[in-house]
Amino acid sequence: MKQSTTSNVDVKGALVKKGAFHGFLTSSPIALLPLFLFLLVFFLWPIGALTGNAFKSNEGAFTFSNVTMLFQDPYRMAFKNSITLGLLSGLVGAIPGLAIAMAIEKQGNQTLKKFIASISGVLANTGGVPLAFMFLAAFGPAGLVISALKSVGLDLYGLGFTLFSFTGLIIVYAYFQIPIMVIVITPALTSLRKEWKDSAANLGASKFQYWQKVGLPILMPSFIACYLLLFASAFSAFATARALTVGNIALVPLQIGALVDGNVTINQANLGYALAFGMIIISLVAMIPYIWIQNRTARWQVR
Amino acid sequence: MSKDSLTVKGLSRQFGSVLALDNFNINVAKGELVALLGPSGCGKTTALRIIAGLEKSNTGSVTLNGKVITDEAAHTRNMGMVFQAYSLFPHLSVAENVAFGLKMRKVAKKKRDKKVGSILELVGLGNHHKRFAHQLSGGQQQRVALARALVIEPEVLLLDEPLSALDAQVRTNLREEIRRLQLSLGTTTLFVTHDQEEAMAISDRVGVMSNGRLEQIDTPDVLYNTPATAFVANFVGVMNHIPGVRSGKSVSIFGDSYKVRNLDGGDGHVVALIRPEQLDVEEAKKHGNARVVTRSFLGASSRIICELTDGTIVQSLKPSSESGGLHPGEMVNLSINTKEVLIANA
Amino acid sequence: MASAMKKNFAANLVLIVTGIFIFFPLYAATEFSLRNGAEHTHGFAAYRWIFAQSGFIENLGITLRVTSLAVVLNLLIMVPTVTWLHLSGQRYKRLVEILTILPLIFPVVALATGAQLAMPDFMQNSVYELSFFYVVIAMPYTYRALDIGLSGHPLSTITNAARNLGASWLKTLSSVVIPTIRPSILAALFLMVALSLGEFTLAQLLHWSTFPVWVTNVSQQNVIGATALAIGSLFFAWILLFGFSFLGSKNSTTVQEEE
Repeated sequence: MKQSTTSNVDVKGALVKKGAFHGFLTSSPIALLPLFLFLLVFFLWPIGALTGNAFKSNEGAFTFSNVTMLFQDPYRMAFKNSITLGLLSGLVGAIPGLAIAMAIEKQGNQTLKKFIASISGVLANTGGVPLAFMFLAAFGPAGLVISALKSVGLDLYGLGFTLFSFTGLIIVYAYFQIPIMVIVITPALTSLRKEWKDSAANLGASKFQYWQKVGLPILMPSFIACYLLLFASAFSAFATARALTVGNIALVPLQIGALVDGNVTINQANLGYALAFGMIIISLVAMIPYIWIQNRTARWQVR
Repeated sequence: MSKDSLTVKGLSRQFGSVLALDNFNINVAKGELVALLGPSGCGKTTALRIIAGLEKSNTGSVTLNGKVITDEAAHTRNMGMVFQAYSLFPHLSVAENVAFGLKMRKVAKKKRDKKVGSILELVGLGNHHKRFAHQLSGGQQQRVALARALVIEPEVLLLDEPLSALDAQVRTNLREEIRRLQLSLGTTTLFVTHDQEEAMAISDRVGVMSNGRLEQIDTPDVLYNTPATAFVANFVGVMNHIPGVRSGKSVSIFGDSYKVRNLDGGDGHVVALIRPEQLDVEEAKKHGNARVVTRSFLGASSRIICELTDGTIVQSLKPSSESGGLHPGEMVNLSINTKEVLIANA
Repeated sequence: MASAMKKNFAANLVLIVTGIFIFFPLYAATEFSLRNGAEHTHGFAAYRWIFAQSGFIENLGITLRVTSLAVVLNLLIMVPTVTWLHLSGQRYKRLVEILTILPLIFPVVALATGAQLAMPDFMQNSVYELSFFYVVIAMPYTYRALDIGLSGHPLSTITNAARNLGASWLKTLSSVVIPTIRPSILAALFLMVALSLGEFTLAQLLHWSTFPVWVTNVSQQNVIGATALAIGSLFFAWILLFGFSFLGSKNSTTVQEEE
């Protein structure tokens, strides 16, 4: 709608002066300035600065040496571990998450849905020390599950299992990855219209054929997108990894943390930024397809 | 009965405390287009979905061409169905959508493509093979849905309010097209709608439903001229409610006596159900029994809305040539030009 | 009826198994947290432990103040911007969507290192620098919450109607716009508060002692107490959220059109 360009507006015969609030209605993008400046200062600038420093030598000259160091141990190991953790944790979260979301949809009970939605919301944001302690209580060396199994003759810790390991991390991460998956895939599931299921049946498709030819193909983009989100989430997680492993396992967030804490020689200062830069690249590779897919599937999800 | 394609006997369905269908019976002959007409909640969609196999009934049977299919799964019934909206699979093109049923029946690719091509031509979308649902208008989507349902040569075509989500003009055009297709292919069709004009315009027979029951099923003419109950009379077409006094088999309206058609109900004050074209309007020379409120010129006919002395509003539908002289505020004489009228309680 | 039960069998099985896996650690942790030290009795002693720690009030206060500033910043920046977008700036929506989703792509750890590098000293010397970064981190969620909330209302139509009926701009904003979008604003602020109260990584890496950071440090000394705190805050947050979910649906009923 075209905004009036005169400075006074005639309303019911009385002249109403347009003050500052009508400036609010301007369609000029100057209204975006506050947001843009905010993002510039508190987001783009830090990111830009660290990217710049990732390629600086200690003398200030441009160099690739920081970045090339990333391909050597222990940093190479850290990236390998973090990426593997992301990939595995993503699967461990995505597949059960999908099954649970489907079961919830099938069940249909409204109160149950609210219950699960709220508990998923809380669990999805649970991390760090609280989560670690909860699992310690259950799966730690003196944990309830471990003791219970011991009493029936199964000594998990004796067999080499420990919570403070890669496997332990994947188990613990599942606790918030699965709820995230449930939350993010449910809109895609509810967008599966009943009419498609009915049409498929009507045209001769059995339930299996429906899922094979209609349901899963439609869900696939969302599923992949959610998986990417879970990958990025596990890859970047800091607090939980720190609480559980404290340096046992080489992980990129933890190495950055160590460098930031000052356990580093002067020479390695820019290395931290290179590590952060590496994290950003990998995160971009996962998140950009995620955003692109979510945008596209929104087309047939909300009609 | 042997020429009946579809026979439904004694269908009942209860949802919790609600009786959605109450002893529903219907026979549809081969090649017939029968409409199920009624307000929302009357059970017409429930009946259709049970016939399609998408829902189960509590009692009753569904027979198709002599074979009882009550317990058969939906995907083995060989019926074509079109829904109100969102029928098309979004991830498949128009051609792939239409080919879906053929694929399920393992029809060879060459034959499939040929059938898909010809049915799309038939519905006027021959150039839209590669489009997707979101690129089509509402009317086009429904035509693709129709093509998809018809290409498998179903025993019965089931339509669940296929036009309700469309614009008025598209609705009128598409309903004619549905009728045309159905006639040329000879497909037995059951068509659910709440729009009485739609049902009356294209059906061989119309079944009027209310509260899970089939009130009357007849050709549109019979339904319109001799409705069996007050509900049917009011639902189909427009009805005037004119007060009268009944005694026995006759009723007095505007001072004249008429024969009562329906036998239920008692004497005393009643309302007569009179069609607009059964109500004549004349300029009152001396006293009148009504006053003209408005005259709407509709082309060949005009609608004259009048107010009776007791405040009741009635309408008359007459050729424009006969009603030109009537103006708002005028006193007129209303009279009924049939001998038999339908009565309802006051 | 029997087939309906069978249909739901698989679904119910999945949900029951899930329930076991979810609740078992919770149960274990709750049982653990109720223990009275080495004795085999149970009590709520552990739940009182955290409150007795010196530093509880101080650190909680820091987090609350940081949160308050974050909320104010959100109100000042996000709300007017999104409102403007819906009223007059529709053509810039795409751009803003992309801008506000950027923080999601970049890991917080990376942001922390960049912040340490780039921020001028006067910022880095104040714990309130966290508020600004929290607004950035929350932006994908708060923007979306506001956008979805505002999309549900024909804002430009109702402001035009108000203006047409004689309301000044101030009146329009105060009696029409703000009441309409209040639920969305509250939702966005709720997200901001939730994030800020629990945020650990950025605070830790920038060497600030906020409530989550302090709790982590103190937890090393008392495992039972720490577990009690974890469980306690989890249940508290969950009950809050469960309650809110009913509140939301109460206001969003649509009336069926009568035939």
